[in-house]
Amino acid sequence: MSLAVETRDLAKHYTMGQSVVRALDGVTIALEAGEFVGLLGTSGSGKSTLLNLVAGLDHPTSGSLKVFDQDLAQMSRQDLAAHRRTNVGMIFQSFNLIPTMTAVENVALPMMFAGVARAEREARARALLEQVGLGERQAHRPKELSGGEQQRVSIARALANDPQILLADEPTGNLDSRTAQEILARLQDLNTRTLRTILLVTHDASLASRFVRRTITLLDGKVVPETPS
Amino acid sequence: MRLADTLHLALRNLREAKLRTALTALGVAIGIASLVGMVSFGVAMQDQVLGNLLRSGVFDSITVTAAPRAGQRGRRGGNAAERVREAVDAARQATPRIRLNDEALRRLAAIDGVKEVYPDVRVPVEVSFGDFSDFTGATGVPLSARGQGVFQRMSFGQFFANGADDACLLSLEFARRINDGAPGSLVGKELTVGYASAATPGDSAAGVPPGMNIQRTERKFRVVGIVERQAGPSPGGAMFAAVMIPLAKAREMGVADLTGPQAILRQLSDERIYSTVTVKARRAQDTENVEKKIKDMGFGAFSIADLLESQKKAFILLDLLLGLVGSIALTVASLGIVNTMVMSILERTREIGIMKAIGGGDQDVRKIFLVEASLIGLLGGVFGIALGWAVGRVINVGANYYLQNQGVPAANLFLIPWWLMAGAIGFALLVSLIAGSFPAMRAARLDPIQALRHD
Repeated sequence: MSLAVETRDLAKHYTMGQSVVRALDGVTIALEAGEFVGLLGTSGSGKSTLLNLVAGLDHPTSGSLKVFDQDLAQMSRQDLAAHRRTNVGMIFQSFNLIPTMTAVENVALPMMFAGVARAEREARARALLEQVGLGERQAHRPKELSGGEQQRVSIARALANDPQILLADEPTGNLDSRTAQEILARLQDLNTRTLRTILLVTHDASLASRFVRRTITLLDGKVVPETPS
Repeated sequence: MRLADTLHLALRNLREAKLRTALTALGVAIGIASLVGMVSFGVAMQDQVLGNLLRSGVFDSITVTAAPRAGQRGRRGGNAAERVREAVDAARQATPRIRLNDEALRRLAAIDGVKEVYPDVRVPVEVSFGDFSDFTGATGVPLSARGQGVFQRMSFGQFFANGADDACLLSLEFARRINDGAPGSLVGKELTVGYASAATPGDSAAGVPPGMNIQRTERKFRVVGIVERQAGPSPGGAMFAAVMIPLAKAREMGVADLTGPQAILRQLSDERIYSTVTVKARRAQDTENVEKKIKDMGFGAFSIADLLESQKKAFILLDLLLGLVGSIALTVASLGIVNTMVMSILERTREIGIMKAIGGGDQDVRKIFLVEASLIGLLGGVFGIALGWAVGRVINVGANYYLQNQGVPAANLFLIPWWLMAGAIGFALLVSLIAGSFPAMRAARLDPIQALRHD
């Protein structure tokens, strides 16, 4: 199988005052296309930093980071925006929906940036909301939706431009355990049905182990040797 | 991202912050109203001054003369009869090659941009009324001069009703010489006007060349109006005189032009030749072109259109100055736009982060904020013009009430032509684009990770 994500000696250092924080320090991993991988680690281990780099939200300090053989480290800001628009879909712990927009408008927004015509993007947004079981809640604003519903809107939005990779940053962090399981089951279903590559960042190893195929654990910016799930 | 979508997003963002948008747009509106008010005042002043000058008929008038070329001089010697004959021959040859005759009048009238052509008729006359008798000058006045120059306001009576009546206008000064106490009482009275006319061939004395035989003719003219010579640059052209009669009437009277030796000699010609002709351009702006074409035809031509140009330049400077003063308020308003947009970015930092995380590029974010600023400018521009117009009307009504109480005729103190409206909206857009560009750039350069962490 081809590699969806491949990193080699990937490093990301931040300067804080006089000291240098090594958020990622020589990370080498590979995600095959269609894999559902859990990225585990304690707070400050560097998992969100790695996810942000794969998402193209940040540039690495050194090393290589390839997504479908394209080196993100060499990309301009404009190219990274195009990468975020077409290759990846992001799901956040705090949902990150735009509060002034309805569910359908939030889902249609990535397609607006991709230049999709209004009628087409609205039809697709409605279909995606139907898929996540929110057909009746399309005209509601985020504050009118429960946490689980907001996260389902977020998943629908991540799928808007039909990306091959889904990046989920602690998607169950703000949800109760039952809703958390429901969201992870939905991601697992997406992985199984559509063969999308999913990288799930979580600190809950026991919950993740029930849904992901394998896990990668980070500790102090370095990869802890992989264990089969 | 499509422009229509950018506009849609910007509009919905502005709707979400109605009060702030309205207050910022109001700031721009006051700025534009101030600018429009100042410039429209300048435009109205220009219209008052230049309009009066244009209506005076001075700036669209060109005085045309024949351009004589060096003629042959008669030789000395011989008897008196021979000398007279030679002088007549010499005068005929010295007559300009391009004569200012009826054919020339037709050619001048055919020039593009010419409204009217008429010869200047100016004759010495003797005016009698009761015991009063005096020699003075009379001129022919075309009916088109009605309401122009000195004829804009009649001291007594009115302008000629037509060109066929034996009617005349008197200058107020001459009317006072006839009846100092009540010059207006002359209106409706008949004057006797004596003038020199060329005798018909049958009446011509033996041995005198045709046209040299002059006879006195008298005619009655009814005074229909009295006009006053006004000070300033609009004296009413060459047509103002003690006695003014309709030009058509003056031409049919067969008046002999005795204003100088050349004029007398010109009468020897078989055709009617004029010493000067007035050409009226359709618009004052055409005067220069028409004048040039007349000169190209070989005539002498003179106008004072250059004075109009210098007046216009002075008003452009005045408009610029007023515009600059008006722009101060707009500058303050533009700072309001900057403030609003910066505040908006602070409030929407997380939203910007979200937009970037889901695929929005720097350009998309920049465009959204620029369009928002432009819409505020557009809104402010439109309301500013309406506000400027409304305030102008109120001041106009108040000022005219005061002016009329002081016996001064009403005037339009504020004029908003279409170019000022378009310019004001364009300027409001430009100012808001400039004011919005810095915040928009800031928004575009936001680090998405930092923005997503923003509360």
